[in-house]
Amino acid sequence: MVLATHLYKRMMRKGRVLALLALASVPGLVYWLAGFDADPADQEALYSDIIANVGYSYAIAVLILTVATLREERDGGTLPYIYMRPIPRVTLAIWSILAGITAALTIAVGGWLATVLGVLAVGADPAMTVPGLTLFVAAAVGYAAIFVPLGYLVPRSLLVGLGYIIVIESILAEAVTGLAQFSIWRISVSIYADLAPVFGDEALEALGPVSPGVGGGVIKLTAALALGLLTLTLALQRRDAL
Amino acid sequence: MSDTVTISSLSKWFGPKVAVSEVTIGFGPGVTGLLGPNGAGKTTLMRVVAGLQRPSQGKVSVLGANPRKTPSIYRDIALVPEDEAIYERLTARQFINLAARLAKVDNPEANTQRVLETVDLVDSAHRRLGGFSKGMRQRAKVAAALVSDPEVLLLDEPLNGADPVQRAALIKLFQELGDAGRTVVVSSHVLAEVERMAGRVVAMVDGRLAAVGSVETIRAAMTDIPRQVFVECSDPRALAAGLIESDGVVGLHVSGGQLRIEASDAGAVALAMPQMAIDRGISITRLEPSDESLESVFRYLVEAR
Repeated sequence: MVLATHLYKRMMRKGRVLALLALASVPGLVYWLAGFDADPADQEALYSDIIANVGYSYAIAVLILTVATLREERDGGTLPYIYMRPIPRVTLAIWSILAGITAALTIAVGGWLATVLGVLAVGADPAMTVPGLTLFVAAAVGYAAIFVPLGYLVPRSLLVGLGYIIVIESILAEAVTGLAQFSIWRISVSIYADLAPVFGDEALEALGPVSPGVGGGVIKLTAALALGLLTLTLALQRRDAL
Repeated sequence: MSDTVTISSLSKWFGPKVAVSEVTIGFGPGVTGLLGPNGAGKTTLMRVVAGLQRPSQGKVSVLGANPRKTPSIYRDIALVPEDEAIYERLTARQFINLAARLAKVDNPEANTQRVLETVDLVDSAHRRLGGFSKGMRQRAKVAAALVSDPEVLLLDEPLNGADPVQRAALIKLFQELGDAGRTVVVSSHVLAEVERMAGRVVAMVDGRLAAVGSVETIRAAMTDIPRQVFVECSDPRALAAGLIESDGVVGLHVSGGQLRIEASDAGAVALAMPQMAIDRGISITRLEPSDESLESVFRYLVEAR
């Protein structure tokens, strides 16, 4: 817990948090702008369309935040202060990923609250935003599971992560059906789609070939979490810790 | 006493660069000075012993365990890294307290206070490390290392940036830890520093062991090495003619306006030269030892092996 708290505090610098909250708030802002002219009956579909498509800004915010979990320790030369401790490497990996998830969830709540404010601003029913929170939470868990190990392993992890989000998730996963099943964003949208009473057409397009379903989504996210944990544990055990 | 740290045929390379080559050595209780010029492989050796880097070849055992495979051993090992990396936003107290809690030390607050007093940082404990001088940062790092009361303490250039008073205090502290049965390995590129604190010296150059023994042994090995002295003067040939019969001079080379003297006893030559210059009416404009650097002295040691 001490380690997770330390890593969390280090990640959550005021300037960075404000900038990332602004980035994660883009779906809320877009909804606010688009919602004024929308038919009240279409508000719920519009909400799902916007957060499923514009929500990538939140994915980028989570990337920026979570790759820094251990990368800042490595780049700053402070990794020995946490590595040379009587802590099993798997525990070190668990706390690190947990810190990443918690930080991502903090931004998730901010991003989601921005959508709530957007909904309130246009006079729509805020209850529609509740399922939307699952999208932010699921994405926080999934992305932290892969970006925390990525940050530890790869010096230019931010660039690699952006490549993953833009090239693989946004472009390749559109074209390659099999790849879409492994897209963290689509997995998160699939959970949201299962919970949202109304799901817009454009949101369905964003989901692509992935079937809506909480169970399937949770299993995939659990697998991503297990894979991330295994990768980080092995990296901590086998690679130079500098 | 038996060694607490054993290193067998250790090599570490980074691509084509060999940082440590075939080093076999042990460290036991007491203070050992790890001496060598910059780039000699001291830091890499310490990092490998600390488990931060994998050996490319060979084995390292600390208190009977491989630190890379046995994290629990980190209760008893601490490293003070050479680089200035530190959590700049934390206060000294927060930094040391964090180290204590990560090391699962009983009563972290009391132990934090104890080591703050040991390194004389109590008055500055509330200040952020980012505002500390280099010497104060070094003391904070030493305190963080000491908070778990480790059996093996690895200190990489711990006196860098410390003022003379701080140096004296830290040297005394390391000696006390050594006397108390702790294994203290202190790296430095300054012979005089090592001489003050360590009974045993391990000298490294180019990633290899150059000499192992007491400070006296190393010093004796060094005095057997001819030293070179460059002299710029008004008449180098006349000065060379005068010096040729002097005790301690083993070679003389005149080139342009310069005289290069090879001396087995540089001190005796330095004492004789002023009078000789006065007697012959020669004015000396520059006198400089050419290879007094630790690196060149160590190279001699390696070549002499």
